[in-house]
Amino acid sequence: MSNANKEGVTDSVLQVNNLTVARSGKIVIEGVNLDISEGEFVGLVGPNGSGKTTLLLTILGLLNPVPIMGGKVRVYGKEGFSKSDLGRIGWVPQAAANLPRHIRITVRELVRLGTLNLQNMFKISDSGRSERVDRALEMVGLVDEADTDVSKLSGGQLQRSVIARALASEADFLLLDEPLVGVDLASRNSLLKLLDNLCHDEQKTVLMVSHDLTTITQAAHRIIYLEGSVRFDGPSEQIPDFSSLAGLRGIQHVHEDKHSSHGHQN
Amino acid sequence: MGIGSTLMSLLTPIMERIAPYAPGEIFPSFFTIPLFQNAFIAALFVTVVAGYLGSFLMIRNLSLIGDGLAHVAFGAVAVGLVIGYVSPLWYALLFTIIASILIHEMQAREILTGDASIAIFMTGILALGLVILDIWGGGITGTVEGYLFGNILLVYGESFELIVVMSIFSIAFLGIFHPILLATAIDPISVQVQGIPVRAIGLLFSITTAAVVVSMVQFVGTLLVTALLVTPAATSQLVARSFRSCIIWTQIFGLTSTIIGIYISAETESGTGSTIALTSASIFLIVAITKAAIPLFRSEAYDQ
Repeated sequence: MSNANKEGVTDSVLQVNNLTVARSGKIVIEGVNLDISEGEFVGLVGPNGSGKTTLLLTILGLLNPVPIMGGKVRVYGKEGFSKSDLGRIGWVPQAAANLPRHIRITVRELVRLGTLNLQNMFKISDSGRSERVDRALEMVGLVDEADTDVSKLSGGQLQRSVIARALASEADFLLLDEPLVGVDLASRNSLLKLLDNLCHDEQKTVLMVSHDLTTITQAAHRIIYLEGSVRFDGPSEQIPDFSSLAGLRGIQHVHEDKHSSHGHQN
Repeated sequence: MGIGSTLMSLLTPIMERIAPYAPGEIFPSFFTIPLFQNAFIAALFVTVVAGYLGSFLMIRNLSLIGDGLAHVAFGAVAVGLVIGYVSPLWYALLFTIIASILIHEMQAREILTGDASIAIFMTGILALGLVILDIWGGGITGTVEGYLFGNILLVYGESFELIVVMSIFSIAFLGIFHPILLATAIDPISVQVQGIPVRAIGLLFSITTAAVVVSMVQFVGTLLVTALLVTPAATSQLVARSFRSCIIWTQIFGLTSTIIGIYISAETESGTGSTIALTSASIFLIVAITKAAIPLFRSEAYDQ
């Protein structure tokens, strides 16, 4: 298994070239260029409707680039999904909004769903899946909650269990959509630390969407500011000051966000 | 000849052994008289499949699709009774599978929201059946009523074989695809990213749902399909803490409803389908009240 993983390793995890994507006939992102390498922790920020989720869904192969514009998405050096790369991308949706709370399911059951793939979907034998689940639970620090019903978890624990599901698929590249929503401040910091550790210690690559500029600049190594196209791409320290970003957007309340984002979230 | 009769020849000796212990005056005949034996076994089979399927319908927020498809099946039965040639259940199966697939596609393509597409098929095919029945039906209204409220003693011969085969097919499908169906209900995007053909499996799930509903129509009746499809699964949500235990509790509640329901209906000569449905609803009520009344049922994890 580790052999198979080693073969496709290139330093570049994600290459996006001149990508243009339209949804319902309207161009959402245009001419986006990106290059993400292994072990990077990248924060993708931008106002609502700026195309963050569209970009993620295109990387996942669920949306297609506008054909005539010649845009390309390469994941691990390959265009589109090849069978050997399935499972190398892990999708982590916003748990607060996307995990149905009416389903009775334990953390362990949820995480185990991440181990499903084309090869093992009909197999009854365990083939190391329990071990992967245990390891994923350990990585996110939910070993003690393994047999708890997910509806009893706090926002932070719920988000961790969704991250564990992606880790259980042995994904090397994690795409997270607004994982901090519905997570209280203390859990927020430990969640970001967890993601940071995954990049440093486990050589995972993280691309995280957030609208909380303040929090994400503290955690991510690199920030991409997207608004239709990439307006800024660089290390977190060099991100232009908030008022000039606000100028880029033509909106004034970003500056307020800086001070009040902790307060109104929870 | 068929799987059903082979199965019966295996089960009959066991049932005859249980017979002396069965309570009541008429109920024991469900263990001894062949026609009743068939009906009883078919009822248990259908209950198990319906409960299992219902557990997935619950988490997919599709509780009412069973009701909708049952109405389609009823309309199709009416059409089948008029046209003839084969058992009306075959017409029901054909129409219901088509409706189920179209409902699924309309949802997947976001042409209409789930409820609206169910409503259109449910009333459309039902109306077709009723109109055809009015024009060419003649004197078969009595037979049709059997499908409306269910008649357990209609389950014999070809119908019995059909129900057994559909039940086995459905259990096999749900068993094999169990983890994928659960994963898809929770987060379809993740499952797609993991490389699993979500669409194709959704299509098979629609066909299975149709088959289960058709196998239920004859014995619980069109109007009462939901009683075995959804009520046991909903009751299990009150007591279970994992999906696995949900499945087990659903079977316990479903089988209890069916056995008690058949017993009461045999002894009091009430309708089988309606008595089972009433038992099923009563169990839900008892569990819900018990849960509210006894804090013991509450999880200690609340304060975490």
